[in-house]
Amino acid sequence: MSQAVAPVRHVLIEGNKSYHNITEDLCVPTEKAPTREWILAFSLSAAFLGLYIFAIVWTVWKGIGEWGANRTINWAWDITNFVWWIGIGHAGTLISAILLLFRQRWRTGVNRAAEAMTIFAVICAGQFPIFHMGRVWLAFFIFPFPNTRGPLWVNFNSPLLWDVFAISTYFSVSLLFWYTGLVPDLATVRDRASGFRRKMYEIFSFGWTGSAKHWQRWEALSLVLAGISTPLVLSVHTIVSFDFATSVVPGWHTTIFPPYFVAGAIFSGFAMVQTLMVITRKVLKLEQYITINHIESMNKVIVLTGTIVGVAYLTELFIAWYSGYVYEQFAFYNRVFGIYWWSYFGMMFCNVVSPQLFWVRSIRRSIWWTFFLSIVVNVGMWFERFVIIATTLARDFLPSSWSYYSPTWVEISIFVGTIGLFFFCYLIFTRVAPVVAIAEVKSILKVAGDQYIGPDAKPHHHDHGHAKVEAKKTDD
Amino acid sequence: MHHDNGIWVSTDDLMREEKFLQSAEKEFSIENIAETDGQWTASRRDFLKLLGFGLGAATVAASCEIPLKKAIPYVTKPDEIVPGVANYFASSFVNGGDYCSVLVKTREGRPIKIEGNSLSGVTGGGTSARAQALVLSLYDTRRIKQGGTIENGSVKPLSWSDLDSKIKGQLQLGGQVRIISQTIMSPTAKKALAEFTAKYPNSRVVTYDPVSSAALLSANDQCFGKRAVPSYHFDKADLIVSFGADFLGTWISPVEFARDYAKNRKIRNVKGAKMSRHYQIESHMSLTGSNADNRILVKPSEQGAAIVALYNALTGGSGGPNLNEKAAKAIAKVAAELKNAQGKALVVSDSNNIMEQVYVNKINELLGSYGTTIDFGRASNQRQGDERDMMRLIAEMNSGQVGVVFVWGANPAYELPNSEEFKTAFAKVNTRVSFSGVLDETTLLCNYSAPTHHILESWGDAEPKAGQYSLIQPTIAPLFQTRQAEHSLLEWADSANLNRQDDQPYYQYLKSHWASDLFALQTKYATPTAFWDMSLHDGVFEVPAVESAVTFNPAISLNPSGVTQPANSELEIAFYETANIGGGQYAHNPWLQEMPDPVTRTVWGNYLSIPVSFDGVNNINGWMDLNDGDNVDVEINGKKVTCTVVRNFGQMPGTVSIALGQGRTAGGCGVGYGVDVNPWLPVEGGLIQYFAKDVKVTKTGTVDEHFACVQHHHTMGVQAMGKEEGTVINADEKSLGWKGFQGSLTDRSIIFQTNLDELPKFVAKLDKFHEKSDHLNSQTLYPDRTDVFTAGVHWGMYVDLNACIGCGACQIACVSENNVPVVGKKEVHRHHEMTWLRIDRYFYGDIENPKVVYQPMMCQHCENAPCENVCPVNATNHSMEGFNQMAYNRCIGTRYCANNCPYKVRRFNWLDYTTADVWPANEERVFHVEGDDKPFYADNLTRMVLNPDVTVRTRGVIEKCSFCIQRVQEGKLTAKQEGRAIMDNDVRSACQTACPTGAIVFGNVNNPDSEVSKLKKGALTYLVLEEINVRSNVEYSAKVRNANEELFS
Repeated sequence: MSQAVAPVRHVLIEGNKSYHNITEDLCVPTEKAPTREWILAFSLSAAFLGLYIFAIVWTVWKGIGEWGANRTINWAWDITNFVWWIGIGHAGTLISAILLLFRQRWRTGVNRAAEAMTIFAVICAGQFPIFHMGRVWLAFFIFPFPNTRGPLWVNFNSPLLWDVFAISTYFSVSLLFWYTGLVPDLATVRDRASGFRRKMYEIFSFGWTGSAKHWQRWEALSLVLAGISTPLVLSVHTIVSFDFATSVVPGWHTTIFPPYFVAGAIFSGFAMVQTLMVITRKVLKLEQYITINHIESMNKVIVLTGTIVGVAYLTELFIAWYSGYVYEQFAFYNRVFGIYWWSYFGMMFCNVVSPQLFWVRSIRRSIWWTFFLSIVVNVGMWFERFVIIATTLARDFLPSSWSYYSPTWVEISIFVGTIGLFFFCYLIFTRVAPVVAIAEVKSILKVAGDQYIGPDAKPHHHDHGHAKVEAKKTDD
Repeated sequence: MHHDNGIWVSTDDLMREEKFLQSAEKEFSIENIAETDGQWTASRRDFLKLLGFGLGAATVAASCEIPLKKAIPYVTKPDEIVPGVANYFASSFVNGGDYCSVLVKTREGRPIKIEGNSLSGVTGGGTSARAQALVLSLYDTRRIKQGGTIENGSVKPLSWSDLDSKIKGQLQLGGQVRIISQTIMSPTAKKALAEFTAKYPNSRVVTYDPVSSAALLSANDQCFGKRAVPSYHFDKADLIVSFGADFLGTWISPVEFARDYAKNRKIRNVKGAKMSRHYQIESHMSLTGSNADNRILVKPSEQGAAIVALYNALTGGSGGPNLNEKAAKAIAKVAAELKNAQGKALVVSDSNNIMEQVYVNKINELLGSYGTTIDFGRASNQRQGDERDMMRLIAEMNSGQVGVVFVWGANPAYELPNSEEFKTAFAKVNTRVSFSGVLDETTLLCNYSAPTHHILESWGDAEPKAGQYSLIQPTIAPLFQTRQAEHSLLEWADSANLNRQDDQPYYQYLKSHWASDLFALQTKYATPTAFWDMSLHDGVFEVPAVESAVTFNPAISLNPSGVTQPANSELEIAFYETANIGGGQYAHNPWLQEMPDPVTRTVWGNYLSIPVSFDGVNNINGWMDLNDGDNVDVEINGKKVTCTVVRNFGQMPGTVSIALGQGRTAGGCGVGYGVDVNPWLPVEGGLIQYFAKDVKVTKTGTVDEHFACVQHHHTMGVQAMGKEEGTVINADEKSLGWKGFQGSLTDRSIIFQTNLDELPKFVAKLDKFHEKSDHLNSQTLYPDRTDVFTAGVHWGMYVDLNACIGCGACQIACVSENNVPVVGKKEVHRHHEMTWLRIDRYFYGDIENPKVVYQPMMCQHCENAPCENVCPVNATNHSMEGFNQMAYNRCIGTRYCANNCPYKVRRFNWLDYTTADVWPANEERVFHVEGDDKPFYADNLTRMVLNPDVTVRTRGVIEKCSFCIQRVQEGKLTAKQEGRAIMDNDVRSACQTACPTGAIVFGNVNNPDSEVSKLKKGALTYLVLEEINVRSNVEYSAKVRNANEELFS
């Protein structure tokens, strides 16, 4: 278990924590009465969620005609938001699966929240493909189920159908992975709780006792799920990009889309993790678990993926020019200099230029810069999807059909409403489950403990190499 | 109950509690199922009762929501009606001077579609948008249900006998009687009128046309002693010069002219291809001008000067009013060409100035047109009106001589420029009777309403051109208590020839007129009955044309001072009629209102067309920097009206133009759209002029929030001078984005056009394009499926861009055939229009005087359809016969297909446009006629127009052109029943049959003998976006012009 860590490395958990401190620090937010800030934030999110429900009911009741989309631009904010939210989800999976495989141990500080973010983001994303349907009451048609209509099957050629599979798989695997990680921590909370709370946590922790067999199975399951999740990081956004890449529309029909979308997704996902973490660590006083080193690491990922995205943008332009095909050339010319030029330049600035600031160490390690730039990146990634979807559709093959799109209040409400939905879920999450994976953090404390010489050092009767199981049991 | 065996059921039992013992004695306890608080108890019976009641109540409540619809079977089924099988009746579309011989398709006794009648020598099977829209006006909910007195803006019903006695009483008073009418082409109606005027000798018929041709009639009267419009033969003319006459869209007989015109425009063989040449001299881009080979721009007030200049150039004369230099030079060249086209030239003008028309007559005479391209043997009766007569009537009414006025088919309170004067004078008439079917502006001023039948409920006839008769027969019993105007007049004239005992007295009257007057004109049928039956079957009866040579009256002197003198004003305005709305007669037809103006592509209203110019750098600017949808105040003669602007290519600098016919204030759905421009029309010498000078336009700073234009981008490579001297650049491409991208429009494979003299070169270029496309398309991973496409029956379409004049008849035919909903101005503004077939219009060439190409665009039924593979639920798929099919029931409305359609022909039901849905809450969003609480389609009367063979689509599904699959199916069944292969005539799409020029041909491409397969082999054909390998089934033939490229050099 003991890991070789170069002494030059920073400790992953600051503040000379003992196992007990960790349990205390991480469980307390679920046990205390909510703070005023939380209540305020929760009320606000609930209000936006209410707006979301209202706007959705309005859409279903009156028709998609309440949106600003038209005969030329049939998708606009709906699918823009869908892709945006799906992209945001990607960081969670990347952190929990790929970074796990890469043995990036710093991930333990953020993986729980990032995974939760994934789940809530996918929930938000899923709203759009459902409610953008003209006849949402027939949405079940997209599932391949035996029926008496022939039987009539779905169209397996359609990327939209692949989306259905990709996203439902993604959601279920992410949910399982996240929940599996939660089980020991829920048991920890249970052990500290009493009465009804205890009853509930008992149910949700599936009777976890912390026995060696439990841990063994838990680790095996985690590994299996990490194995399943890893390809999903790449496949989900690849398939989402197929919605565009397999089409015939110039500006959509591009082979570069899959890698470009995946990079963009990780980029935006990390930005969203930053946004959330910067707030969460402050509010829940978890600065010692989610340290500035975490933030810096994630900023490095942001600058990397932002640059990949930038290269993709330029490659697109080059290929359009190189294609010698007028529609392709015009589509990209129009992206840059056409009616929606502001969204292209917004995208370029936010996604390519602004993350370059992270080359500067002080900016990379600045909470305020990080927070600000994470918002900028999220705005930029939204622009990217808008550029790809609305700008492309607005100027396609036949000039006679060219049109312009601007959203109505309904679309704006739905988008703002999903942000409400997201934070509604996230805020509940911070109240019911430890936002940092207790069990996993403890596992790295052990490593960090080699250098542990703090004044509160408790004498320990276990060797470092022993199973953490027991350690936890005693500490709890 | 306590048993000694030690079994107990509860502690109460065990303890032998009193309560338990009591309850144990009762076999059925109610305590378990009812609340026993002493107030309310319920037994099992109660439960059953409540259950029953609840179920019953729920059932009743639920059934309240379901509207009761009655299907009443025939007691005695008429022989000719077979449910599900359409009947066609030959009839005529007549509205004043508008004429089209038609077949009316009826289903279960309801007229639902208009088709052209190919037996007609006048229209030859073609139709117009106006004719196609006829069925909808039959089911207008605004129609007057019963005649009576008009009080406070509504009709107080009276029985016909009461109304008759009242009106007869008024007629007996002995005052002057006047009948105001539009052109009447019906010989029988004229006979009825003659009977009426004989009975009341103090009566007179006053005829005017909503858009006047009075000067033409007067000029012909002066020159040839014939007050008639001659027959023009555009097919016999190699050189056509039109001074403002919109003969393809609106002038006199557009269906006939378009058909003739197109004969000389189609190119079947590239080798030795010939075309007529067409010059149009005008200020605004008219439908006809947009089809011309060359347009010469003159201000409206210069039209006379241009005519005189042409005359002078032909005769070597001089003098006459000044003409702009560019036009003068061009006209000299035109004259030179005309001289070489003796006997094969045709000059027409829509001028309402007599001297100008005399000049035109003289020019035609000089060119030997009379007897060749113009003939009086088949003189047209389509324009007979003279507004000077109306002016006289106003004076008469003002003097109080007139006691009774009948208004028949005319709407002077709206149409006249001096309608205010008319209204004042009209009020002085004691008895004002309107035959109008709706409460229009004039009817509201009347005191009696005697509504006549809709044309589809009427008997009648027409003689649009001398010797070419046409019958009108009812295709449905009158929907309301209306009575035909002719019948009313005969009734009031106490006609002895009207058999009042008969079911249909006017039918008998008509029949006997045909027996007495027309039977003798033929020898084919021996009995009047046989003659009548066959004429009624054919719809038309034609006698050979009478040779009618004319000689130009030598006494006529041509005086250039008699023509309009060019004005010096900075800004002039032209007023024009549109192909859909006319002079306002069609403003209350939602189909026509929603049909885009062919040139400006705007709907629901009239918009001030302003010129555009290129700044030499990047921007195409509207005049005064105005933008589409900006509101401006237009002031003419002190009358100021706020109009909405549309930037229009081809509008001459220094001029603007606006359509007639909008700004209606009463009578139907057109109320509230556009502006009434009639009060601006100047009257000179009693004749209405369709232009005005001294126009002041000021910006208002406001916009029309619902400016509705279906096409935002209008050009495909218009050229202009760059900033540097002598550089010609594509201005529209420059205007796209930052610095422009030259070739971004012209290199698209959408429109191919060329000039006749470059045809061989062009064909080589087109071949190269095909070659390149074939090469690209062969680079595929997928197996070749040609064998599938070439097996069996395979449907395809051919669209000849050279024959398409953009008139829009196909679009309305498609709307009518396929139940395409009307969405209203606001929804069109949001680009939610539903038309399955649209006519794209692109400008190209010189930016100030561009050329136009129209491209009917509908679903291309691609073999490799991009829409099909993206639908997640298989709602759209391909048939073995080449159809791209839509299963509406399966569609969940993801709109992915619409995004992926390169032609953007898929239409989504954004809202509950057809009110087919069950959500009443969304009704308010869809199109309502102003003042109605129910949406347009919610009324059962309106819904009678729906074609029962075509599903009405609900909210949330995609729809698109089906290649009229219902017609294909019907044709296949016919062929099957007759045990033969399917032939061309079995299946003809709605757009194909509607087209007056034969630009659209549909059929089985795998049949080598079919017209479509032959046409598709032409050297000029191409697929739109051929190189993207969607393998569409609609083939276009390139646009070829016969322009004189040297005209302005």
